[in-house]
Amino acid sequence: MTEIRSRVLLAGLTALLVGFALVNMVVDRRALAQGGRELSWWSGLALDVAVPVQKFVAMPFDLARGGWSDYVALIDVRRENGDLRAKLAETEDENLQLREALLASGRLDRIAEMREEYDVPMVRAELVGLDASTWFRSVLLDRGRNHGIHSGMPLISDMGLVGLVTATSRNAAKGMLLLDRQSAVSAVVQRSRDRGVVRGTGDGLVFEFVGREADVAAGDVLITSGLGGVFPKGLRIGAVSTVEDASTQLQREATVDPVVDFGRLEQVFVMLRRSQTMDLLYATEGGDQPDPGADPAPAAKSAKNAKKGGS
Amino acid sequence: MKRTAAILALVFGVPMLQGSLAPFLPAAFRPDLALLVVFALSLSWRDPATGLVLAAVCGFVVDLFSGALLGQHALLSVLAFVAARALSIQVSLIGALPQMITAAALTAVHAIGIVGLTAFFTPGADFTLLRLGGVAPRVAVNAISAPAVIWVVNGLVAWVIGEDVGRRPLRIATTRSWIP
Repeated sequence: MTEIRSRVLLAGLTALLVGFALVNMVVDRRALAQGGRELSWWSGLALDVAVPVQKFVAMPFDLARGGWSDYVALIDVRRENGDLRAKLAETEDENLQLREALLASGRLDRIAEMREEYDVPMVRAELVGLDASTWFRSVLLDRGRNHGIHSGMPLISDMGLVGLVTATSRNAAKGMLLLDRQSAVSAVVQRSRDRGVVRGTGDGLVFEFVGREADVAAGDVLITSGLGGVFPKGLRIGAVSTVEDASTQLQREATVDPVVDFGRLEQVFVMLRRSQTMDLLYATEGGDQPDPGADPAPAAKSAKNAKKGGS
Repeated sequence: MKRTAAILALVFGVPMLQGSLAPFLPAAFRPDLALLVVFALSLSWRDPATGLVLAAVCGFVVDLFSGALLGQHALLSVLAFVAARALSIQVSLIGALPQMITAAALTAVHAIGIVGLTAFFTPGADFTLLRLGGVAPRVAVNAISAPAVIWVVNGLVAWVIGEDVGRRPLRIATTRSWIP
């Protein structure tokens, strides 16, 4: 009798836990669809507590990695430094000539106006952890709602687009990388202006585009198209490495080498922006606007260097 | 108190440790420590009710530190615990080989669960069965890592509950329902 009771209790507990997990999934999915995926108080608290713990757990691994990259891997750095200095001098010279040409054509003022338009306050955030699951590609950031970060905001690095904030707590945020299988970004080929979608495959990127006549070739740079309003136009995504043969398929694919080295990513900039389109899509109730005054200053200037291939 | 803290540190710490390993190993060659800990708990934790709750908590922590929906890994962890527990009652899972085989089977089913749930809840995601090519290395890595993880968890559980958990008695079914 006792055994039967304990089995019934166990079955009940299993059903309860399964039901709880399913309800959580449905609620989380709905929140994600509505854009305001701010974690519940208990999961937010767990995430806030976990950030310093995660930093502590990752410390020996970071030290090992830092030791390697700061000392062992610097054997060729002197020669590389010389090469880079030479290249810098060449680029400065080229830059000067281009400025002269722009001044002469009167376009410099218009470009300066465009830069102002693109300037968005940003918050620098450290990556404190990578995805605990081997099936997803997300990152844990050490800044959250208290710093003006909300879900739906783009993540960039000095190289280009990194991903998107998907969930926030008070002092932490989760970001989905471009590589994640759930990630899809509207993109355009910088050279030919052909459009398509860049999708994550878990360990790489593919560019899906329509039409046999589309002009996409190896080496082409892909930038965000700005369609959908999630990402601003002109952020660099990657370069096409191989293009699928144009056979009878209507939709073609090209593999893409991301410009961001996700393996070495240590910090990102969160763009404190959600375009009008996003606000319409998310239909938030006023309180979801980022606070531009929240610590953006140190990052804003340094992030200006984030390469915008299209601007 | 110290022992409860050790178990909580296990279920909270393992997903964090897994996240810290991420920069060093490609995803397909990284052991799924959380799944293996749940498997180990199903073998060594005496009270199945507490074991179930621990498995669910471990899954929720993985969800919290990953791009999955909150509850996805928790659901699969609970099911993995129940399946492994039921199997361990029927078959002896003492020894490296049966543990490796069971871990391999759990990993394959877990992968199908992840892909199925993600495809269901996020239809646009690139989670189709055609993309399951990366499962084979995951199965192999988890199978190889399983005995070591089980050994560590067994040791911890033995310390927590103060007995040799590696020798859990097998239940033997009899034809007689009542013994005088």
